Amino acid sequence: MNSINRREFIKMGLTAGSMLALGGGHLSARVPGSKDTAHKVIVLGLDGLDPHLVEVWMNQGKLPAMRKLREMGSFSRLGTSNPPQSPVAWSNFISGMNPGGHGIYDFLHREPESYTIISSGAAASESSRTLSLGKYELPLSGGKISNTRQGRAFWQILEDYDIPATIFKIPSNYPPVDTKQRTLSGMNTTDLMGTPGIFNYYTTAASEINEDLGGGRVHEVYIIGNRVESSIPGPVNAFRKDRAETRVDFQVFLDPEHAVAKIVVQDEEFILKEGEWSGWKHVRFNLMPTQNISGICQFYLKQVRPDFKLYVSPTNIDPGNPALPISTPDSYAKELEKRFGPFYTQGLPADTKALSNNILDDGEFLAQDDIVLQERLKMYDYELDRFDSGLLFYYLSSADQRQHMLWRHIDKSSPLHDEKLAKEYGEEIEKIYRIADSLVDKALQKADKNTTIMVLSDHGFAPFRRSFNLNTWLKESGYITLIDPWKQGDQIMFLNTDWSRSRAYSIGLNSIYINQRGREGEGIVTPGADKRNLIREIARRLEEYKDPISGENPVLHAYPASEVYSGAAVDGGPDIVAGFNRGWRISWASPMGRMPKEITLDNTEKWSGDHCASPDVVPGIFFSNRPLTSSSPALYDLTASILNIFGIPVPDDMVGKPVLKI
Amino acid sequence: MAKAKVKLEKELLEKVKKYAEMSGYSSTEEFITHCLEKELAQLEEADSEEEVKKKLKGLGYIS
Repeated sequence: MNSINRREFIKMGLTAGSMLALGGGHLSARVPGSKDTAHKVIVLGLDGLDPHLVEVWMNQGKLPAMRKLREMGSFSRLGTSNPPQSPVAWSNFISGMNPGGHGIYDFLHREPESYTIISSGAAASESSRTLSLGKYELPLSGGKISNTRQGRAFWQILEDYDIPATIFKIPSNYPPVDTKQRTLSGMNTTDLMGTPGIFNYYTTAASEINEDLGGGRVHEVYIIGNRVESSIPGPVNAFRKDRAETRVDFQVFLDPEHAVAKIVVQDEEFILKEGEWSGWKHVRFNLMPTQNISGICQFYLKQVRPDFKLYVSPTNIDPGNPALPISTPDSYAKELEKRFGPFYTQGLPADTKALSNNILDDGEFLAQDDIVLQERLKMYDYELDRFDSGLLFYYLSSADQRQHMLWRHIDKSSPLHDEKLAKEYGEEIEKIYRIADSLVDKALQKADKNTTIMVLSDHGFAPFRRSFNLNTWLKESGYITLIDPWKQGDQIMFLNTDWSRSRAYSIGLNSIYINQRGREGEGIVTPGADKRNLIREIARRLEEYKDPISGENPVLHAYPASEVYSGAAVDGGPDIVAGFNRGWRISWASPMGRMPKEITLDNTEKWSGDHCASPDVVPGIFFSNRPLTSSSPALYDLTASILNIFGIPVPDDMVGKPVLKI
Repeated sequence: MAKAKVKLEKELLEKVKKYAEMSGYSSTEEFITHCLEKELAQLEEADSEEEVKKKLKGLGYIS
């Protein structure tokens, strides 16, 4: 049976959601630029490193390489994006623009016509022409997946000047933009299902688990004669008229005496002890009698008895045979796979949802993210070793993900702080900062006198103790009217909202939109003075609002978009950006358009650290072996600085300015 | 308006007539149309809600 590769997908024009919808821009085999440059640049993107923690641990001698860089050149707080969300912040860095230029405003955007909530990073369209053949529906033209970020990436500009670049896992680059440079997509890359990542959990104790798991599916299984049978769900089969979900069956044979099991899935057969991870296993989802899609997943045997518990990771795109575009050239992902074996291709692979839902505990979560980390550390050594010209960008996700989940262990005021667990896991954040420091050390060893090292984080971190139901506040303040006031609460996507009597709404983690006439499907606010006055009124009232429990202001600054955004994409963005205070974030319910009764409430989730605040609450870090010429550098200034190092003029549409003395 | 005949069981038809009258509808036809529209709207909403939830499921920042 043949496994479908990307080219065949495109020929067939498959359209199972975003996964089968491919753009045509990344097909030709490319050769990266090979110019020997007089200057070289190594950029380490350490997601989420916080300046306060860095300073404390640096001054205690725990981050010696960063301290060395500070002594050699510079250390500064780094202006983040507004809002300080990773896709937005990294887009600032990639493009040298603010969101008004690159058009990424939030993790979530909306379609104004229908108020539909969409992911901000990639847009997919399905094939419009199909041919019916029996139970199969064969697409005649290809669907398309495209990166919605606007403006040119700095490595595309370097390419214009034949300066080679390797861009490893930078967020907000999925699908990777067209380039001859070597790039591997990072955050935003979906799993094989076309989602941010859905794990599967097989257990005989399914009733113990909340059925509505965000990010996971629970499968109830039965042990019959020391044997368990189930299947891994795969992507929707777009070949079939009924669009049935594909599945891969597997069997588990339990040892009658010991806590050991043999798992058989397709042609793979392996034995796991309780508490053991399987490493990557290939699975093939059949689409038609002669075709299949290849994915990879990991099995973790959590428990054999008395209840059976088996975790299976989200099915990742197989880098050795990618069904979706994850690298440029196509061969780069395959090259890494050949050298290192299969690896996580999913954008944010740390399984925070499995920890949040108690499927994995703290230790198991760390073990899982350590698999991610170790895979990538090996690739860092490989890329650093062969780096001899142009620019190398390397990205670390683990500090961000671990701070999100483990902040409660270093924050005694966290609603979920537990002294016992804090004792066990309280040093994990420091450990990952030390690992980040070891990357800096290796870069220092590699650098010669012509090499500029830039170490940056996209934002810092803050506790997430209290949450703010922004849409509930808008409703209580008279800006949203419900169709049925008795039904306030759990419906997502504003299903109970009377748009003909609603003037503003919030989608995503910081964004507020005015229900504008002529833009929104049922807009009622006239553009011009009416809209401007409404924006000012909402911003003022938001900043004035005090939490009745703590007396704190949940929103530190509410920024009218017209004051913070500029550029060609400014019309697509929100009208107000809500910048939360330290200790605060938007609630879990509000981003998807739900309006629970309370305006403020405790955050009782393990996800206890966050950064979706006002930008001045969570600045990033910046280190270099070169001195800074600015006392307040920002992410987009670093883009301009990179171009400046290579003697390339900064394009007019960039807002950043060079800030490094070369 | 397009016309189509729909067969209903006698018992159901009696109930429909009774509730249409009780609820103040001007005709049985108006009541049935309203019921169908309401049901279809719910189905359409459910589809789009499910689709959106599915696409965003797994993003750590939202529930």
